[in-house]
Amino acid sequence: MRWFETPNFDFVSKRKIAYVFSGLLVAISIGTIVMKGLQYGIDFKGGTEFVLKFEQPVDVTEVRSALTVPLGSTPEVKLFGSSTEVLVRTDNEGDINDVEEIILSTMVTSYPDNKSFVEKSDKVGPKVAEDLKSGGLQSIIYSMAIIFVYILIRFRKWTFSAGAVVALFHDVIITLGAFTLLSDVVNFSLLIDQNIIAAFLTIVGYSLNDTVVVFDRIRENSIVHKGMEYIPMVNKSLNDTLSRTIITSITTLFVVAVLFIFGGEVLKGFSFALLIGIVLGTYSSLFVASSLVVELDAKTNK
Amino acid sequence: MQGNGFKIGLIVAFLAMTLWYLFPTIQWNLEQKQISELPSADSLQYVEDNREKLASIKERTLNLGLDLQGGMYVMLEVGTSQLILELAGQNRDEQLEQVVSTARETALANNSDFIDEMVTVFEAGNEGARLSRYFRNDAADITRRSSNQEIAVFLKAQRTEALDRAIEIIRTRVDRFGVTEPSIVKQGTDRIVVELPGVDDPERVRNLLKGTARLEFRLAANANDFSSFITQVYNYFDEKAASDESDSLDVIQPNALLEVLSPGQSPYALGYAEEQDTAKVSALISDSEVQKLLPRNTTMMWSANTSPLVAGGAEVFTLFGVRTDVEMTGEVIEEASVQFDPTTNVPEVSMTMNAEGARDWARITGANIGKPVAIVLDGYIYTYPNVITKINNGRSSITGVENVGEAEDLVNILLSGALPAPLEIVEERTVGASLGQASIEASLNSVLIGLSIVAIFMIVYYRTGGGVADIALLLNIVFILGILAGFQATLTLPGMAGIVLTIGMAVDANVLIFDRIREEQRTGKTIKAAISAGYSNAMSAIIDANITTGFVALVLLSFGVGPIKGFAVTLLAGICCSLFSAIIITRVVIDYLTRAKSSVVNFG
Repeated sequence: MRWFETPNFDFVSKRKIAYVFSGLLVAISIGTIVMKGLQYGIDFKGGTEFVLKFEQPVDVTEVRSALTVPLGSTPEVKLFGSSTEVLVRTDNEGDINDVEEIILSTMVTSYPDNKSFVEKSDKVGPKVAEDLKSGGLQSIIYSMAIIFVYILIRFRKWTFSAGAVVALFHDVIITLGAFTLLSDVVNFSLLIDQNIIAAFLTIVGYSLNDTVVVFDRIRENSIVHKGMEYIPMVNKSLNDTLSRTIITSITTLFVVAVLFIFGGEVLKGFSFALLIGIVLGTYSSLFVASSLVVELDAKTNK
Repeated sequence: MQGNGFKIGLIVAFLAMTLWYLFPTIQWNLEQKQISELPSADSLQYVEDNREKLASIKERTLNLGLDLQGGMYVMLEVGTSQLILELAGQNRDEQLEQVVSTARETALANNSDFIDEMVTVFEAGNEGARLSRYFRNDAADITRRSSNQEIAVFLKAQRTEALDRAIEIIRTRVDRFGVTEPSIVKQGTDRIVVELPGVDDPERVRNLLKGTARLEFRLAANANDFSSFITQVYNYFDEKAASDESDSLDVIQPNALLEVLSPGQSPYALGYAEEQDTAKVSALISDSEVQKLLPRNTTMMWSANTSPLVAGGAEVFTLFGVRTDVEMTGEVIEEASVQFDPTTNVPEVSMTMNAEGARDWARITGANIGKPVAIVLDGYIYTYPNVITKINNGRSSITGVENVGEAEDLVNILLSGALPAPLEIVEERTVGASLGQASIEASLNSVLIGLSIVAIFMIVYYRTGGGVADIALLLNIVFILGILAGFQATLTLPGMAGIVLTIGMAVDANVLIFDRIREEQRTGKTIKAAISAGYSNAMSAIIDANITTGFVALVLLSFGVGPIKGFAVTLLAGICCSLFSAIIITRVVIDYLTRAKSSVVNFG
């Protein structure tokens, strides 16, 4: 079986369309983030979270209203994977033992015939949350910086570095935007926590992988086809590697979709980020990274 | 074909090594299966007979993270502010307390060191003043003339010492509690990370870890003074309610205190409150007017457990009046054990004091016959007995514990020694065993399903090449697990996700190579020449792509914590293994196939 045997798409000349499309997505994402704010999970916000497992299905709204008075504030209550598991997130800063006791005793009174127990609990203090947040931010910044420098050393042109890093920011910002926009829409947690930072860095790694393969081919073609003009050569490189780009995206999307469907509730947000990120990463290495290199080269050569 | 002998040797050696590291894990699972199949009496006997053998296998198995096997991760922080107030001792004043509480906030806001912030805050508020007036210490050579910087160094050293002692004490407590394979590690300047696999009673563990074990013996408040105080307090809230109603539209409850606290008969107790109300009561009585009413040398403390003597059936806590002065502390306790009351069979903690303690105890009890004495642990009154006779043998006991478990933990805490400063749980992650098991199943399923889909796709798309890539992919997973076991790394849930992701990305190198081979074939090369050119031309792209991903994994490894580290480790192991299997293993197999019968080799 062969797909994209000898493709001849004109990626670079369509770059203006891609810029508009990407620009629109980035603008929507930034707009959403500014308006709604990033939706942090307890890792970065601090707080206490419990997953309660019941014997029979329960109603989330009922659980929420039952807990509001005892906890002193309205907790966030969501289903956690199945209709018998409920996630309760509260900003009550009391001792975790007391909070757990309050929740469990309230559940016993509200559901005398439906026993429940704590399946999972997490508490993150405000100072630790600050630490984790700055650690997450640092890891993203450092990895971008390292990538910029590596590509600069390997390809000896800052335009390649800039093209790659801008494409990566593009991917991460749009994924963040999607998370913020969809956090109230979907029925699983899309809050930004440590797992999501790991997912972002994986997206960065993946998208970069694609971009670097294309860059590598541009470098090779510029040696093999010396007389060729720059834009057709970039186009040829994109087409040469197209089959590989698509096939790798497909296999990776397969496994990430499997993880999303079968991987359990804890990994839902993580695999959702990867799903969006891989599609974006493939798109950006075809339409954004190389086009930017062409653009920047044209500007600097003038 | 030259050099393949070396490559084959390398593959065999690598495979042998990973299997060697994975062998104990396989053996362990087989043993567990065997044990579960035996009748329960036999299985216990079997475990007993093979205890050493099983333990030695267990030690070498692939470690599962707490999120997969269930357990608790707790990060504790030494209460530096309390430690500092404690160090100031008698010199502590309102100004220092103010500085400490401001420094706590600024340290949190600036994400900086508390002690440095304290010096800054102090200097900002008191031009030219010296902190040394609070912390004079001849042993540490801290005099009135020591500079604030010297004080900071001294305080940091004290904090380190407190942290080290706290770790030792926590270790003793955890060992006595009996957790298998606990891990207790110092983190930074003031934190301790405790990992306890398989713990299923988080509440008990939290109390065990946090308890400072500050045991105090205090006298009861003066009965006459305290009973008039009781009357004054209720009157005060009556008046307050009346005046609030008259001067505003706010709807005020008739008597804020009576809403949450029921008065009792005892001249030593302000009243009784249900659990959810105790915090409100504490807030009300911390009112400065109420504190002014308190008799001299008197303070109030809650009972640790509910008292049985209350009407209405509700379980309530008692707010007692006790002396501020501490008569004796837990340092005099020499021995402690769990005993049962001979008549009621209720568990209690029996304590024996050393000679000095016994002397003091005899004096205290002798002088207070007929009055209550409070035995206070970590700020809560456990026992409030009336002294009947003078006690000469240095014995006392803590009653009113809820169950045998709590009594055992108290004995544990008392014998492990008191913490130098209170510990606070700043982060905790607890996963129940059932959720851990569910996560293992879900992630194993994902690995199997993901693997099958990718494997089938590769064969359909690349024919022989795909089949060879699939062999490499399978070996790849074995290698990753072997490396994890060999490096004693821990497999976490994000780690499992890393393996799934690696399956998708591992074939990338082969996709690059096979696509290149197809390209070379299109230029008219023979299959052998195309294979050779394909491998060598694809190499630079493969290396570049994997090195950049490797960087990202390294960054994750250095900044991530806990489970994320697990993800980074599997990702990194996955990159190394997939490079090895995609480049070397597939090459050897394809070379072998082309030599044996080149017509079967087909890249689709």
